[in-house]
Amino acid sequence: MNAILDGSDSRAKNVALGLGIIGISGCLIGWFIAPRDFFVAYLFGHFFFLGLSLGSLALLMIHHLTAGDWGYAVRRFLESAVANLPLLALLFVPIFFGLSNLYPWQNRGVVSADETLKMYLNPAGFVFRTAMVFAVWIIMAGRLLKWSAEQDLTVSLEPTRKMRTLSGPGLVIYPVTMTFAAVDWLMSMEADWYSTMFPILICIGHLLSALALVILLLAWAAPSSALAPLATEKAFHDLGNLLLAFTMMWAYLAFGQLLVIWSGNLPHEISWYLHRVADGWKWIAIFIALFHFFVPFFLLLMRAAKERRRMLARIAACVLAAHIVAVWWTIAPGVYTKQFYVGWLAPAAFLGIGGIYAFAFLKNLERRRLVPQNDPRLALSVPT
Amino acid sequence: MSQPYGLLAEFSNHEDLLRAAKEAYAAGFRKMDAFAPFPVEGLPEALGKKTRLPLLVLIGGIIGGVGAYYMEWYANAVSYVINIGGRPIHSWPAFIPITFELTVLGAGLTAFFFSLGLSGLPRPHHPLFNVPEFERASQDRFFLCIETRDSKFNSDQTRAFLKSLNPLSVAEVPE
Repeated sequence: MNAILDGSDSRAKNVALGLGIIGISGCLIGWFIAPRDFFVAYLFGHFFFLGLSLGSLALLMIHHLTAGDWGYAVRRFLESAVANLPLLALLFVPIFFGLSNLYPWQNRGVVSADETLKMYLNPAGFVFRTAMVFAVWIIMAGRLLKWSAEQDLTVSLEPTRKMRTLSGPGLVIYPVTMTFAAVDWLMSMEADWYSTMFPILICIGHLLSALALVILLLAWAAPSSALAPLATEKAFHDLGNLLLAFTMMWAYLAFGQLLVIWSGNLPHEISWYLHRVADGWKWIAIFIALFHFFVPFFLLLMRAAKERRRMLARIAACVLAAHIVAVWWTIAPGVYTKQFYVGWLAPAAFLGIGGIYAFAFLKNLERRRLVPQNDPRLALSVPT
Repeated sequence: MSQPYGLLAEFSNHEDLLRAAKEAYAAGFRKMDAFAPFPVEGLPEALGKKTRLPLLVLIGGIIGGVGAYYMEWYANAVSYVINIGGRPIHSWPAFIPITFELTVLGAGLTAFFFSLGLSGLPRPHHPLFNVPEFERASQDRFFLCIETRDSKFNSDQTRAFLKSLNPLSVAEVPE
């Protein structure tokens, strides 16, 4: 395991890159033979992995502000995911070519959207806002990573202080920018639908999936890497509690949105849910309720499940897998409104983007030592 | 004069107390308790204290949640059927908020009353208050008390054992 993390074993990286290239080639073929299916699948794949990086950014900022024991053990995983943001910005570019396939406001034949709406939802605005939100995320990520690297080399407290100072406002900036992104990329897929709770639900989904990923990585790497002294029972217990908190938060928001829209029962709102319970989508919704909430929730109530590395890793894997399904369920029924659909392009896009993402992630990881150096608060965290 | 309640050892910091508790447990003492001005992590486990409170809270929460849902279902779908906005009679989404609230209420009340009950409260007096130094347990001192009803308790040997833990003082607690 350690050999993969520090880069001396490059097999995992090469496998990831290989899968990425195969997936992306599949996507290119799909672009020509079934452009609409391709763009839906690509947006799904991209959005899932973007969620991992943005969730990591938010978790990193939470840790810079609160400095819990849990954060030092997973700090490098979070930072490696955050460092992938420029790559994800680059990978977003193909979506600009699929606006007419994805969004009704761009489809002249279908929508007679009123002129005011078109002043906001138009290709130029879409590209501009996308560029802006990515710029903000990349700048914040860049500053945090730069200061973190500086802290490794100095005993001065200055870099840690700077990271903390940015993290406060950063945690406000993230949901605000994500609101613009979620409105443009996801919400506007369905003409007229809007929900003010939706962007924050998306944000919590990001945090949840990122947390599940780093728990998996830590559980897998802990015994055989430099992280072993940090990966204590207590660290896993803390991470398990956070996972429980975000699982509950996610369910709370998801149900809150459902309850408000169900109670109102207005045509332009309820249609979003009607598409998502039509035909086979209903079973997907039940699957998500079970494995995105009930199963992890009841398991995480038990202290023993949180402290045991393997058990917690299984729960995290369950949450992560359910979140992949939830992202598909959030995006795809906007296009396949009548019946359940998942083609070969969804796994292809997932593998393509995921492979490249994993390759870059491992590259970022091997550049630095796994244990943060010189953090003034870390000394208190290592058990004596 | 009746038998004393126990022996009380006084420590100046929580690390000494934690170490003393572990050693006392290893020496076979079970009927003992520790007192500190703030919660000391790992202390209940060191004393071998197990609590049934989490299980009781879970049961309380489940009773609250199931009871709430049953109440709503019975009221809306059985006892007094009323058409609200053309929705199904048994409209589960509308029942969830109350179910959630009463789950929390059931768990919260269980936690409150059982944590009082299981720790023997309310209780106006305790033999430990007979030791003047004990007042500082809520300020800056840490105490370990081994009770006479412990099967391994022996006035002289237990006093010697407590002395071996390097306490600031060892006092007898009169009944």
